[in-house]
Amino acid sequence: MAEELRTEDMTVNMGPQHPSTHGVCRLVLTVDGEIIRDCVPVIGFLHRAIEKMCENRTYAQCIPLMDRFEYCTSMSCNWAFCLAAEKLGDIKVPERGEYLRVIMGELNRIASHLIFVGVTPMDCGALTPFLYTFRERERIMDLFEMTCGQRLTYNYIRVGGVAKDIPPEFIPKCREFLGIFEEKIRDYEKLLVDNPIWIARNKGIGIITPQLVYDYAISGPSARASGVNFDIRKNDPYSIYDLFDFDIPLGTNGDSYDRFNVRVNEMRQSARIVAQALDQLPDGEIRAKVPLKFKPNPGEVYSRIENSRGEMGVYLVSDGGPKPFRMRARGGSYNHLQAVPHIVKGLKIADLVAIFASMDIIMPEIDR
Amino acid sequence: MVEVVKQFASGIYNLLLGMFTSGKHLTRHAITVQYPKERWEVPERSRGMVVLLTDHETGRLNCTACLLCMRGCPSGAIDIEVEKDEKGKRHLKNFTVDFHLCCFCGLCEEACNFAAIKLSRKYEFPEYDKKDLIYDIQKLQAAGLDVPYEKPVRNKVEPKTPSAAPAAAGTPTADTPPPPPPPAAEGPTPTEAG
Repeated sequence: MAEELRTEDMTVNMGPQHPSTHGVCRLVLTVDGEIIRDCVPVIGFLHRAIEKMCENRTYAQCIPLMDRFEYCTSMSCNWAFCLAAEKLGDIKVPERGEYLRVIMGELNRIASHLIFVGVTPMDCGALTPFLYTFRERERIMDLFEMTCGQRLTYNYIRVGGVAKDIPPEFIPKCREFLGIFEEKIRDYEKLLVDNPIWIARNKGIGIITPQLVYDYAISGPSARASGVNFDIRKNDPYSIYDLFDFDIPLGTNGDSYDRFNVRVNEMRQSARIVAQALDQLPDGEIRAKVPLKFKPNPGEVYSRIENSRGEMGVYLVSDGGPKPFRMRARGGSYNHLQAVPHIVKGLKIADLVAIFASMDIIMPEIDR
Repeated sequence: MVEVVKQFASGIYNLLLGMFTSGKHLTRHAITVQYPKERWEVPERSRGMVVLLTDHETGRLNCTACLLCMRGCPSGAIDIEVEKDEKGKRHLKNFTVDFHLCCFCGLCEEACNFAAIKLSRKYEFPEYDKKDLIYDIQKLQAAGLDVPYEKPVRNKVEPKTPSAAPAAAGTPTADTPPPPPPPAAEGPTPTEAG
C-alpha cells in the first residue's frame, strides 16, 4: 500500500513557446508537485549568429544588426557598438551628437522599463498595467519615429555621432511627455506597489543576495535591487553622463518586489536626465567626419554601457580592415538567466514565473 | 490583532485605490484607430518602401549607377545592372530591390549622393505571390513618382571620386539643383529682416 502511494519527481518543460518566458526559452523543470526541485534553462532557440555576421559586414552595416541584438533597447545596443568602434578609430563625437545620444538612450531605457512594468504584472495576473504602460511607450515610439523613421529597429546612432538631427517638433513633444510622465508613474504605483495581491506574490520571493550578484556578475537594476551600488553611468562614465545630476535607486532585500521598484524609480531618474539634456542641448554638428570606408586602427577594445537590463559590452577586434575581425557582445540577461535556477529551487512554479519576469530577461540578448 | 486589522484595512484601501485608478478610464472614449478605414499619418521620416526617384523636369531617374547603395546595403537586397556605352559612360540597366531581404535600415538612402533612392512613407505593399515582392526598375520608378523629395544642393568640391563629379555635372540632374536654392535663400532673408 505504501509503495503505491509514493511520490516521485516529474520533469516538465516550460517553453520554448510559453507566454511568460519572454521569448523562446525552454526551462526544464523537475517538480515535486508544485515545488521546483531543479530548473535547467535551455537556450539557443533564437540564435541568429549576429556576432559572426558582423565579421562579414562593414562597421556601418553592423549597426542594423545591433538593433536586433536586443530589440527593447535598440538605441543602447547601437550606442555600445558605436562606442567600441569610436574607441578603435579615435573618433570624437560632437557635443550635440553626445546629447542626442543621451536623450535617445534614456528615452529608450524608459521605454524598455515600461515594457517591464507592464509585462511583469501580466505574468502575475494583472493585465491593466500593461495597457497603461504601452500607452506611454507609444509616445516614446512616436518620438523615435519622428526622429529616425522606425519604431523598433532604429538604426539611429552612427559611428561618430547620430544619423539625423531631431526634427523641430521633437523638443516640445518630448517635454510634453516628460510633463505627464511623473503622474503616470504614480498611477502604476497606485495600481501595484501597495497592492496586497502584488505584495503577496512578490515580496520575499526570489531573493538575490549580494554574494550571488558577485558570483554571477549580475548587473543593472537586478543587481541594484540587492543593494549593490554599481551603475556604469556613475562608476565608469561613458559619453557625457558625468554632466548630469541623477540618483541611483537601490533596493534592500533583492526580491522581486525590490527589482520592480528599482526599475520604476529608474524611470524617474531617466526622465530627469532627459529633461536636463533637453535644457542643455547645444547647437552644432551632430556627427563627426568619418570616412565612408571607415577603417579603424588595428587593435582590440572593450566598451561597456549601462543598458536597461544590465551591462552591455561590445568587444571589437580590428585588423585594420573595413570590417571587424571579431565582434563579441555581452548582454546582461545571460548572467541573469544563469542565476535563476539558484533562486527558484524550493519555490512554486507560479513563483518562477514571477521571478523570471522580475529579472527582466530577454532572449535575443542571450541567444544573439 | 491590531496589526491584522491594519493590514486588512490597508489592503482594502489599496485595492480600491487601484480600482479607482483604472475606473477613471470608464468614462472616456476609446482611442482605437479603426485601421483599414482610418489610418494615422506616418511621420515625414518614416522608413517604408524603397523607391527610385525621378527628376520631374526631365523624367529621368536621378540614379547615376554609382553602386554606393548596393555596397552599403547590409542585407544584399539591392542589385544593380550597369551597362557602359561606347564612350565608357555608365548607364543604369536594371535596378532590383528584393523586399524579402530588405530590412528598411535606410543605409542606401544615406549612401546616395544624388537623391536617387529613398525610403518612402508607403508601408502597405503585400502581394499574393512572393515573386511580386522583387521590384524591378519600372516598379520602383512608378512607386517613386509621387514621393516628394528635396534635390540635393551640390557644391562641386564635395565628390571625392573624380569619375563621379563629371558624371553628375553632365546630367541634367546636377544642373537643375541650382535654381531651387535661390528662392529658398531669398525666403529666410525677408523674415530675418522683418
